[in-house]
Amino acid sequence: MHMRKSNSLNNTWALLIAAIIAYVPANLYPVMTVVSLGKSQSDTIISGVIYLFAHGDWPLGLIVFVASVLVPLLKMLALLYLLITVQRKSHLRNQTRTRLYRVVELVGRWSMVDIFVVALLAALVNVGAVATIEPGTGAIAFSAVVILTMFAAMNFDPRLIWDYQGEKNGNAKPTR
Amino acid sequence: MSIPELPIAVGTEMAACHECDALHRVPELALGATAHCHVCGAVLARNPKGGLDRPIALYSTALILLLLANSFPFLTLEIGGRQEVSTLFGASLAMYNAGMGELAVVVFLTSILAPALMMVSGLYVLLAVRFRISLPGVRLLLSWIGHLEPWVMLDVFMLGVLVAFVKLGNMATMYTGNSLYAFLALILVFAAASSSFDAHLLWHKLGLPGRKT
Repeated sequence: MHMRKSNSLNNTWALLIAAIIAYVPANLYPVMTVVSLGKSQSDTIISGVIYLFAHGDWPLGLIVFVASVLVPLLKMLALLYLLITVQRKSHLRNQTRTRLYRVVELVGRWSMVDIFVVALLAALVNVGAVATIEPGTGAIAFSAVVILTMFAAMNFDPRLIWDYQGEKNGNAKPTR
Repeated sequence: MSIPELPIAVGTEMAACHECDALHRVPELALGATAHCHVCGAVLARNPKGGLDRPIALYSTALILLLLANSFPFLTLEIGGRQEVSTLFGASLAMYNAGMGELAVVVFLTSILAPALMMVSGLYVLLAVRFRISLPGVRLLLSWIGHLEPWVMLDVFMLGVLVAFVKLGNMATMYTGNSLYAFLALILVFAAASSSFDAHLLWHKLGLPGRKT
């Protein structure tokens, strides 16, 4: 048995809005810059996925596309939907919404894959003048998105979904 | 007027589902059985096969593998005759050297520190309960293990290794190091350890405390 998460709705809203704001620079700024023989080339999250597809590695490209583009977007939308339905005291499809919450909590961490790729590339490609790879500002913003949405999901109390199912029967509403 | 007695049978305990607050009477579970909430389907309690011995063995193995994964080269890259060797820690270090301390902390936490803390605290609690030693902070640690779990990203890191392999494959030759194999084994053993570890069972064995989380 656990205590209710205090201030769940406000905290989740704050973290989610911060994540949505950070999502903009996360996609606009490069996550890394490859400097090779005097030439430099910057990669954003999206262009990194396109690179994988273009080089014929579409299964891996698909996984990375899902993990770093689809998951953060859908996660933020799902949390938005859960917050709004809870605030409108909806008692519809409680089971589906609880399941949605469980999926959101489970898959969020996979978005971190891009940060690990940048870290590994930066660690490996440091071969003097031949080539270097530097992480970019986009990487900080992107990892902020992932961490903020993870905290947002942790702060959301799924029991809020179930609080209003008894209301139509005249049962007392639990205090929050 | 006397207070009506609650109909709780001996050997059962009341539990509120942590996802929807529905009250349940959780019966003694058969070995390997799992109790789900009848309203929302969340897992209420498990009685994993292997009891406490299996997670103890698996977490110890995982701890050794984590040490191995940090002691040898992880990946080696070769461009134009030059070799660059990286360890597991090297990924965090590279972020730090590039002036991105925040990211260095994130990478270090999710690939090394969180797994290590989880194994050590898991073992501490498991051994204390298994051998009935009263150690300080057992309850506190047990309540924190659940919060630590989402930050263990060994499997996500491995996907990152695969992507890095493909991205560099065109411009350089990559070699796998011994640490990478230890890391692969670590992912499997850690996953097995986590699924054989059940906090509810440990709370049950710890008995009713003065304060509960």
